[in-house]
Amino acid sequence: MSLLEVTGLTKRFGGLTAVDSVDFHVDQGEIVGVIGPNGAGKTTLFNIVTGFYDPDEGEMRFDEKSLLGLKPNQVTKLGIARTFQAIRLFPAMTVLENAMVGQHCRTRAGLLGAVFRGPRTRAEERQIEERARDALGFFGNRLIPNADELASSLSYADRRRLEIARAMSTGAKLLLLDEPAAGMNPSEKEGLVKLIGRLRDERNYAVVLIEHDMPVVKNVSDRVVALDYGKKIADGTYSEVASNERVIEAYLGARHEESA
Amino acid sequence: MDKKKISLPRLALKFGLIAGVVIVYCAVVGMTERFTGRTIVNEVISLGDFLFVAFVLVAGYSVAKPRALPGDLVPDRARPPAVAYGALAGVIAGLVTALFLVVANSVNLRLVLVSVTQSLIDKMSYGGSVRSALVFMTVGGALLGAIGASLWLLRERARNTLIIAFVTTILFSLGEPLLRPILTTLLLKVRLTTTWLFFGGGLSRVGAVVVFVTTALIYYFWKQRGGEFRGRVQELPERQRKGIRIGAVVLLIAFLLYLPNLLTSFLAEVLGTVGLYIILGLGLNIVIGYAGLLDLGYVAFLAVGSYTTAILISTRHPFELEWSYWMSIPVTILVAIVIGIMIGAPVLRLRGDYLAIVTLGFGEIARIIVISDWARPVLGGAQGILGIRAPAIGDLEIRDPEKLYYAILICVLLVAFISIRLAASRVGRAWNAMREDEQVAEAMGISIIGYKLLAFATGAALGSISGIFFAIKLGSVFSNSFNIIVSINVLALIILGGMGSIPGVIAGAFVLVGLPDLLREFADFRLLIYGAILVALMLFKPEGLIPSKRRKRELHERESEEEQYEDRAGGGGTEPVITTS
Amino acid sequence: MRFALPERLSLQKIIQLVLGLLLAVIVLVSSMKTINTGNFSGSQWRNLVVSGIALGSMYALIAMGYTLVYGILFIINFAHGEVFMAGGYTAFFVARAFSDSGFLADNPIISLIVVFAVGMLVSMMIAITLERVAYRRLRGAPRLVPLITAVGASLFLQNTFRGLYGAQVRAYPEVEVLSGTVSIFGMPVGKLSLLTILLAAALMFTLFTFITKTKTGRAMRAVGEDKEIASLMGIDVDRTIVRTFAIGGLLAGAAGVLWGLIFQVGFFMGFFPGIKAFTAAVLGGIGNVVGAGLGGLTLGVLESVAPNLLLTGWDVPSPNQLTDVIAFTVLVFVLIFKPGGILGSDEAEKV
Repeated sequence: MSLLEVTGLTKRFGGLTAVDSVDFHVDQGEIVGVIGPNGAGKTTLFNIVTGFYDPDEGEMRFDEKSLLGLKPNQVTKLGIARTFQAIRLFPAMTVLENAMVGQHCRTRAGLLGAVFRGPRTRAEERQIEERARDALGFFGNRLIPNADELASSLSYADRRRLEIARAMSTGAKLLLLDEPAAGMNPSEKEGLVKLIGRLRDERNYAVVLIEHDMPVVKNVSDRVVALDYGKKIADGTYSEVASNERVIEAYLGARHEESA
Repeated sequence: MDKKKISLPRLALKFGLIAGVVIVYCAVVGMTERFTGRTIVNEVISLGDFLFVAFVLVAGYSVAKPRALPGDLVPDRARPPAVAYGALAGVIAGLVTALFLVVANSVNLRLVLVSVTQSLIDKMSYGGSVRSALVFMTVGGALLGAIGASLWLLRERARNTLIIAFVTTILFSLGEPLLRPILTTLLLKVRLTTTWLFFGGGLSRVGAVVVFVTTALIYYFWKQRGGEFRGRVQELPERQRKGIRIGAVVLLIAFLLYLPNLLTSFLAEVLGTVGLYIILGLGLNIVIGYAGLLDLGYVAFLAVGSYTTAILISTRHPFELEWSYWMSIPVTILVAIVIGIMIGAPVLRLRGDYLAIVTLGFGEIARIIVISDWARPVLGGAQGILGIRAPAIGDLEIRDPEKLYYAILICVLLVAFISIRLAASRVGRAWNAMREDEQVAEAMGISIIGYKLLAFATGAALGSISGIFFAIKLGSVFSNSFNIIVSINVLALIILGGMGSIPGVIAGAFVLVGLPDLLREFADFRLLIYGAILVALMLFKPEGLIPSKRRKRELHERESEEEQYEDRAGGGGTEPVITTS
Repeated sequence: MRFALPERLSLQKIIQLVLGLLLAVIVLVSSMKTINTGNFSGSQWRNLVVSGIALGSMYALIAMGYTLVYGILFIINFAHGEVFMAGGYTAFFVARAFSDSGFLADNPIISLIVVFAVGMLVSMMIAITLERVAYRRLRGAPRLVPLITAVGASLFLQNTFRGLYGAQVRAYPEVEVLSGTVSIFGMPVGKLSLLTILLAAALMFTLFTFITKTKTGRAMRAVGEDKEIASLMGIDVDRTIVRTFAIGGLLAGAAGVLWGLIFQVGFFMGFFPGIKAFTAAVLGGIGNVVGAGLGGLTLGVLESVAPNLLLTGWDVPSPNQLTDVIAFTVLVFVLIFKPGGILGSDEAEKV
């Protein structure tokens, strides 16, 4: 049974069909790359799965539970976390706090707990901090030393890392990464590829990533899915998809030798 | 800007004109005349004169301030020619003012500008003729401008010493209503009086010199030591630092507890009002500062607190409930929470400025209903509700200012404690996240609806607490006390103090609520000064006086990080999640 | 798993529908009750409607200033009410001078033209100064900041004028030409009301033509869509923004003089009309000039007619005290349920 199963998903915005009858699945411990030209519906797909949009048709199941009608915070609680195309951290909160906020859906302390700080609340706070540091620690020495700095003071690549750390700290099983390699130089991209691999190998995450950078997709994905005009046009290994005529046509508009 | 264009003559012209216009503005709006009634240094200078002095000094100072040379080095001292240009600025300012006097003297401006009275003209010409005033102001302007500019000839430490000593002396004089009783009581214990220090509503000549010199000496010699001291404190381990901080707070609280013994009844009352506004400020701080919900109708919760208390307790109310305080306080807070949620529920989805206007609307609706004849049977209409008896603990009746002060002080400490705890908790983090990026916060599992309502409810509860005290303090509830100015007052004080920071709120309350009560001359121009302060703050220092560290960076980072972050408005308006991909 | 309603009938829409129906029922019932009391004659209602239209015309003029500035800068110029006040109050002195010297009686038309000109110019200057001093530096700031600046500017201007001109309320001198009524379609209409309605209509029409047909108007719309691209197209963004404020100021100044002629002037006169005009702008669809006009007229009539129509039937004492409640309630409802207004797009800010 797949971890995430999407069938016949359709979403229209007025006259535009952004996502058209898409079938899509992700298995436990799998890394799936999603590619397609701009406007193909990739981010919309993410938005629907994470509860920001309601689909017009179709089914989505995660861990055997339906995602239909769930709000974003409920989706997170089930175990799906995402990053955004434009990095959206909480800029005025510290690195550590950004990672701590991720655990909101797994913790309980409310107003009374905040004011009285009983033993249960204190224990919970300690746990939150530990888990946050653990998530930060996954990135070696990049984030931990800056734990008390404001998130906005990090370098671009570190901010990407922090966004992923924050997604990790939600206790998710599936990570949706939206163009994680955007704006990175080649060596940073290599690091990213290794990182995503480690996410699967060391922490057993399933990962779906939207990417435009083909080498990254090639090196990191177990499977690749291609979208065009909202429809899924290919699903297979990288080489299968890369040589698929429809995919080539979608990117280049004509028969052409792909120069990846 | 072309570096060549930042030339001294132009600066002199610019600052001179600005200073002149500002001085004339103060005269024309009525401040100058009113302020001449207030002595700064006995028989030397009044507050009205001081306006001229201050603005010209500042003009000269600004002209001479060293600016970046083409070589990109900012020198820390100016060269002597700058003094001449400072003088020039002063002359220009003086001329503008004198020109105004000439015009005012020949044309009867009073037909239109009510503040330009003969009395004003006389005062501004120091009893002489307008022609002599022309000379006086030009020469005086030149001198003052030169002095302001020559500050930059000194080295930094000396310069700062003089400035701080000067400002302290002025503030000391303005603070006379507060300082005199305190110092008199204190000095009496060592058999000294204060008649040599204060005289005629301000400092005496001797007093002014003493204050100036003392401050200068203290600052000059202790600044260095202070820096070292702070450095060493920073190096101490966390536990000891915390201990020092707690110790300082305890000392402060002890001082506050002892304070009424040093003050008159009037001052205790003023402090009580300040305390009320601190509670209001802390409450609104949670709504705006933590949760990012711009509420311009906060006065509604104050009204709810006061009116509910009045209805439940008053001996003169038609319902004749006459409950005890033990019962009515929890019920009042509960009612406020319910109303807070009722107000919050419909506005959950609204974007920042729309939310502001809607809450403004709610506040106004509350005010109108409270005054209306329609609601008179319950709310007392324009007369309000009278007969609110004082609460009593056993035999101790809490009616006079001193006892009220203690009650309010305890409440303030409690509310501050709650605010601090909330800020550093999961709830506080959730609010912060929601304020900064609502969509992502929701993706993190934060229920936006829940936390917005929680913010409104908490703000409502705290506002109503203030309302309870308000009713007790006055013994009655008057309908025209609950207008939008109160909401703006509270907003102004948390912005001035620094949004999101608790010491900031406290400082803001003291400055914006305490000072006008002490400085009667300012009271007439209170709103004018508020408005100017708000605008100036937003233009130059939006993070306020005592900002929380993060807020400062948040506001300044935004301006430079715009390329890497889409501009997201605080409080709800965000970039849509849809992108083309 | 949550109850998933089909897309059409979201919970939101159901609530909206129910509340809308409730509102309609309340209005109908209240109106019936009032009419049954027979307290008001037909001509009284007519008068209320006419004065409502006049009031609404003034609101419309002010509302256009709000909507223009919002359409271009996306800020609520909270201080616009004070722009309105400045012109109206300053022009009073000119009017009074004319009246005292007898010029007003001898040359009413010229006097009025000069008075209007002064009012409009003063308002324009205040608006331009506002933009230059307070708003220009804050163009990229988070939305909270310009809003607070506007509130501060509003306070500052109000109290400046209080200091300058004094705290009392003043009445414009009587203008012979404008007193009395004219017969329109057999109905007596106050000359002053007529002037208000006609002048406002003329100004609105001019504005509309200006925005749609002239180069500056196009530039204003372009800057409203995208500042950066507009400047790349060679549009001087700063100057366009200044002009927007200037136009808003001119209109508000005219409204200020009209207000003075009909009611009175004082330093505080801008606060409520300002908020109500903003309500009108939102009602009609913020950013939409025609909408601002329609919204203003609607609100004016509503304010004039509704308190008596809805409340008298229920024996509410002094219903006119609650006039403002009606305006604010309209504001609250529109912002909550239809932030896009009548003519605007329904861009309720949810995801």
